[in-house]
Amino acid sequence: MDDYLIGVLSNIGVISFVALSAYLLLLTGEISFGQQAFFAIGAYAAGIATALWGWSLAAALVWGAAVSGAAALLVGVPTLRLHGLYFAIATLAFAEMVRILFELFRYQISIDGELIGPNGTDGFRNIRYIFDHNIDAFQFLLLIYSLLAAAMLGLLLLERSRLGVIFRMIGQDETLAELQGIPVARRKVLAAGIAGTLAGIGGGLYAHLTTYVEPRIFDIMLGVHSLAYGLIGGLGTAFGPLLGVLIDIGLLESIRALAGYRMIIFGGLVALLLIVRPRGLLDEMVVHKIGRGWRRVSLWARRSSLKPRGNSA
Amino acid sequence: MIDLVQNTLDGVMIGSSYGLLALGFTLIFGVMRRLDLAYGPSIMIGGYFGTVLYLYYGAGPLAVASAVVLGAVIAGIYVERLCFAPMKAGAAIASMVSSFAIWMQLEQAAILVLPRHTYPFPPLATVAPLEFGPFLVRVDHLIMLVCALALAAAVHLALYHTRFGLALRAIIGSPVAAHLVGINVRTAVLLTFAGASAVGGAAGFLVLAVDQQVTPMFGMWATLKGLIAMMIGGLGSVPGAVVGGLLLGIVEVNSQWYFGPQIRDLVAYVVLFAFLVVRPRGLLGRAPEPAMPPKA
Amino acid sequence: MLDISDLVTAYGKIDALKGVSLQVETGKITCLLGPNGAGKTTLMMTIAGLLHPRRGSIRLAGTELVGLSPARIVAHGIALVPENRLVFPQMSVRENLLAGAYQRNDKVSIDADLKRMYALFPRLNERTEQLAGTLSGGEQQMLAVARALMSRPRVLLMDEPSLGLAPLVVTEIFNIVRDLNRDGTTIFLVEQNAHMALQVAHRFLLMEQGRITFRGMPGQLAEDEVVQRAYLGTRRAAG
Repeated sequence: MDDYLIGVLSNIGVISFVALSAYLLLLTGEISFGQQAFFAIGAYAAGIATALWGWSLAAALVWGAAVSGAAALLVGVPTLRLHGLYFAIATLAFAEMVRILFELFRYQISIDGELIGPNGTDGFRNIRYIFDHNIDAFQFLLLIYSLLAAAMLGLLLLERSRLGVIFRMIGQDETLAELQGIPVARRKVLAAGIAGTLAGIGGGLYAHLTTYVEPRIFDIMLGVHSLAYGLIGGLGTAFGPLLGVLIDIGLLESIRALAGYRMIIFGGLVALLLIVRPRGLLDEMVVHKIGRGWRRVSLWARRSSLKPRGNSA
Repeated sequence: MIDLVQNTLDGVMIGSSYGLLALGFTLIFGVMRRLDLAYGPSIMIGGYFGTVLYLYYGAGPLAVASAVVLGAVIAGIYVERLCFAPMKAGAAIASMVSSFAIWMQLEQAAILVLPRHTYPFPPLATVAPLEFGPFLVRVDHLIMLVCALALAAAVHLALYHTRFGLALRAIIGSPVAAHLVGINVRTAVLLTFAGASAVGGAAGFLVLAVDQQVTPMFGMWATLKGLIAMMIGGLGSVPGAVVGGLLLGIVEVNSQWYFGPQIRDLVAYVVLFAFLVVRPRGLLGRAPEPAMPPKA
Repeated sequence: MLDISDLVTAYGKIDALKGVSLQVETGKITCLLGPNGAGKTTLMMTIAGLLHPRRGSIRLAGTELVGLSPARIVAHGIALVPENRLVFPQMSVRENLLAGAYQRNDKVSIDADLKRMYALFPRLNERTEQLAGTLSGGEQQMLAVARALMSRPRVLLMDEPSLGLAPLVVTEIFNIVRDLNRDGTTIFLVEQNAHMALQVAHRFLLMEQGRITFRGMPGQLAEDEVVQRAYLGTRRAAG
């Protein structure tokens, strides 16, 4: 596999985490323009762990996920009472606050005579863990996708589980859910925490993939993009946001010839798509139909395999 | 103390254009109950119309202002037709994401046509600042303040003393009931978009003329300022938009003076976040209903 | 005056109206009764043009209304007093009334009508500049009725005018309904309060689960049976 393709796929994998993060919140009915904040926190935390404290990658990723998850829980509480647009703008404000705080954040340690660490607007360079430990691009790609697969598995199981149903119920009608005895507030904070953790894992991976992060990357554009991926790919399944990322970044790279016009075309296409499919390509209807079709096929398969095979014994 | 007053003075003047931006934003939100993320970029397109007129035809400030307003209105109508008009009632998030897609589209279109990072804008005034005792007032700031207040007054007049304004306030009050009294809501919404874009265009012209330049980043900047001012002042409140803008201006100029530009932006967001957590209705807005806006 | 035939309106895959046919006679008060979820509000919204039926026709004095925008339907002479009143909360009583006359330009007669409304609804007269959102439930109901009347409709539609109102206020409202009709207004009224509705109705219909199950005059059905069916629906026989 050539390096270019590995690079694109790695990018897709990492960004998928933020897309899934926004998607999870969307399931509970809340729009977030701010998941990039947890992506950033995960990136910086994991980067600091390996580059400054000498931790292993695994420990660093867990640390990054934990810090961003905790941050998400912390911010989830005061914003509980907010809904819809108010919540969305609060997430935007929060994310921008985080970004600016990283612009002011300096934490540098001298290692082998070199100053390593986050340096405000200059960013955080030399997150060289994978190079120092001879992990090649392909191996890292495998790591990204194993973690992504695990996350997807978790999400798909969640969607089928009681908790997943509860999340969707809250998304449809909070008051009704409350009346059913569901502790809505606690569940929403839980969703926020999980979403933050997801974004944090992605951030940790991102920091090590690119070896360099700066606050500018974690801007509103990233946040709204993350939300958009779910809307484009479809809100009916966790594969939806992945599809969205694939379409955007995949399209981005494949239409090199139209590089200068990419956003013009893509923007127009997205707008048109949303007119006919306001909940994305793989929306709840499509997923339901696929599920029905699948059940029919597996039923047919089972029936044919149970047919008596002529005269045996 | 003198610094504080000087900053507050400057803040009020800069804030007046934030107020105009918020005004346009709030009018759109009032009739649509949805956020138009392409609002700032539409104004930026207007700005590019203006700079072309200035750069290649040497037009004066009034002509440039008209071009900015015209460009903003055209872009605004484009956004309304593509992102809002065709959407069904429950597709609020789809509209917002669609407007975001068009934001990106408009930004790239602008960069393609005019690829440099910055383009010049005619100044509002070239005379020396006025002195009032220890305080300095830039003449272009003063013009901006006067124009912004005049425009806000005009919007108020239109809203409260014209038939169209009545229709607009009816739609803001209850879209269903507006249909029932025979208001053509779709047309009214389109016209509101055009009007709000025009107001935004005027605000944009004032800011760009004071800045004497336009950049493709102006779109996001305008959207953010309008959004923050609108939320602080109160979602859906016309006087709130103006008050929010002024307050934002005062807070920003003082923060920048005492703490620098990064802290200035940080403080703006902290104030916004604080308002949302403590008093989401803002200064003059109505208390948010539990289920507003409708979820996707 | 209003001739509805075989109206089918759906929400997604579910038919809320399963082929409704009825007539509203000129100059009379026609009442539609039925339990919650029967489709009464859906019917009202469809007539007013807020919902599009899948098939069927709605004719007002011969003119087909299906497919027209709500604004055009108002222009033809239908005015709906919606469920939950839906006054414009941040506008004054006077402005609400003026909004009701939105499609008219004859300033002189609009002013005359304004005065007429104040005479008809004295409680509104005391509060012309008060914001509608601060009025009591009964006052908002009166405002909603008056607002609908400002368009001088040929048919006045009313969706559950007694909803959430105290009994005394309900009586007041129905007295007004009777007075309006005496002055010549054709009224089509949807209600759950069968008792009050039967007092004023010239004709009444029962709607259950999207279908009309009875049409006739008050007295043709024992009141308790009407009340029972209006609140609970008919118990279905086996099958």
